[in-house]
Amino acid sequence: MEDLDFAVRYPFSSQAKAALDSSATQLNESIMFMGSERIKRGLKGESGKSAALHESDKINEIASFAAARMLLAFLNNRFITNKFAVAESKRVSSYLDSERDGATIAKVGQELGFVSEKEGDSYLVPIPIYLSFSPRALPYKLINREVRNGRVVVSPHERVRLMEEAVRKRLERVPLLKDPPKIISDAGKKLVSELPKSDLPQVQVKPGDYPPCIIKLLDSVKKHENLNHQARWFLCVYLMATGMNDEEIIGLYSNLPDFSERITTYQVQHARKKAYTAPACATITTWGFCCADCRIGSPIYWRGKGSGGRG
Amino acid sequence: MGFQLPVAGSEVALAWFRRYYENAEFDIPSIEQREFGIGNRKKIDSRHLNFSGTAEFRSYLVSNTPLFVSFSTGYYRYPGATPMQKKAWMGADLVFDLDIHAEGKYGAYALLGKVKADAIRLMDMLKDDFGISGKDIHVNFSGNRGYHIHVRDRSYLGIGSDERKEIVDYIMGIGLDYRAFFEPDAKRPNDRMERGPRPDECGYRGRFSRAVIAELVNNPKSISRVFAKDDTRKRLIDGIKAGNWNSQPFKVNDFISRLAPIAAKLGLSSVNTDAGVTQDLSKLIRVPESLHGDTGLIAKKVSDIDKFDPFRDAMIKLPGARESLKVKFVEDVPELPLGGELVGPFKKDEQKEFEKPIALFYVLKGSAEIKE
Repeated sequence: MEDLDFAVRYPFSSQAKAALDSSATQLNESIMFMGSERIKRGLKGESGKSAALHESDKINEIASFAAARMLLAFLNNRFITNKFAVAESKRVSSYLDSERDGATIAKVGQELGFVSEKEGDSYLVPIPIYLSFSPRALPYKLINREVRNGRVVVSPHERVRLMEEAVRKRLERVPLLKDPPKIISDAGKKLVSELPKSDLPQVQVKPGDYPPCIIKLLDSVKKHENLNHQARWFLCVYLMATGMNDEEIIGLYSNLPDFSERITTYQVQHARKKAYTAPACATITTWGFCCADCRIGSPIYWRGKGSGGRG
Repeated sequence: MGFQLPVAGSEVALAWFRRYYENAEFDIPSIEQREFGIGNRKKIDSRHLNFSGTAEFRSYLVSNTPLFVSFSTGYYRYPGATPMQKKAWMGADLVFDLDIHAEGKYGAYALLGKVKADAIRLMDMLKDDFGISGKDIHVNFSGNRGYHIHVRDRSYLGIGSDERKEIVDYIMGIGLDYRAFFEPDAKRPNDRMERGPRPDECGYRGRFSRAVIAELVNNPKSISRVFAKDDTRKRLIDGIKAGNWNSQPFKVNDFISRLAPIAAKLGLSSVNTDAGVTQDLSKLIRVPESLHGDTGLIAKKVSDIDKFDPFRDAMIKLPGARESLKVKFVEDVPELPLGGELVGPFKKDEQKEFEKPIALFYVLKGSAEIKE
């Protein structure tokens, strides 16, 4: 693959940085505009592929990624950053899925600190790397994986999923930008003024007394970190039991970087209709959400210390 | 520490600890990058200490002898800086705290053998499953009720708290879905299994398969009475060795459910997760070869765990250890295997003379006081 095409697809790579350096591209209003649009697409959960044909378009597109990162650094808003990280990581993932050349995928892996070794139809991933980049979902739990001498066996699809996670994690980290150039601060202020208020949710949870596992999940929501399916379901049925209505719960979930109103609404209403009860502590431990030793059997029995002892 | 040591006992113990520290053999890798904490009233009264090397550390222990001394599992650029964020964390050993809780002050000692067996299983898991070399696994007695295992493999130093929690879950068997080890036959999913785990496989698949075979050999009736018959049992065991679990008369789901108790026992139960030793990236833990202030025993490094007996090998052996000390018991104490022989039981108010390490053991436990 041409280096420039590689850089367009994987704009976080050192190749992309080199392409920008050698083209001597300067930040200008048009590139800042493209960067802002890229962030807006991320907020909508869109992760379209590149349509750039000419070399100059390709360079501009790579520059738009760099511009978007600088804008995110200026905005210093975790929600927008994480939405952008999710959208861009899905974009990378769809490119990786279509790569036919194993060497290209390996090169992307190298950029991300992700190494794997081919064995038959599978890949072997060193455990520390696997743990750093595996989604926190039951099928990916280390204990349920084939583990061999310090390495985890994964399918080609799972390998791409791990790399997607690696991209997301990398893009969630944005360096602090002190004294930004005027062109960035101007574009940043303009971007914020253009965002509909509903795109920037505020966490609103009824003040109450929650068990440690729920507090931890709520903290993740407040930090706009993604939760896996079990975590969302658990939090949802728990909050329903405390008397929160559907709208409030959906509003809370709009903080999650991969929030989809349609899917969330369906699932919250479904949980309400089925009148699920909150899972027992044993299940929560199995799912990996237990973070204290309350010995209450089920989180619904939590009575905080403030209201006279636990259990 | 649940009680305040009487002044006389404390003075004798600390003088004895001081003599031990004058020549104790410490080997703390990257000591200058570690944070230290010391304690007398609690296990850690003050932390954020740091030392440039073993000589400075020793001289501190000799001139300010504490009952407890701990060091960070983490490595820092500025280990003495406060608050924690300013220390500049660079990585942390992967550490496991294995211990056991039991009724009464002395109950856990009878169960130390189980903790040791778990420590051995953990070391095997670290080697076989995690690919960690034996030279990077360091084991020491905790000085009281268990063992600490420090893993210093470079590839694990940088992982975060969440990742360490996954490792703890793995070792404890939490979240194990052993049913997923079996692939149902596409055409007759209720009656046949396409494939099941073989004993020679790695990780929990192999561990589960081996445990089922062991149960079939040692206690076949716990799975079903039909396996009491030699040829039925043998046919199933031979099948399992090749990944074929069909040589039994049960429906797939029924048979798999019968194996649940075996799957539930695969993890290690004595990993202490309450204190978050493994997950906490800035945890302080007892310095190997230092003394435990509740027992006076050494947090002894263990080179051959099979042969290690804490009450013999972790007792201080100094010139003067043979000097005797008279104590009076303030509560009843059960029989214990101290210093390689059975000692006790003793009744409240009984007066006895022991060699110094044993006398101080009872004093530090709060079960006896020194008689002048």
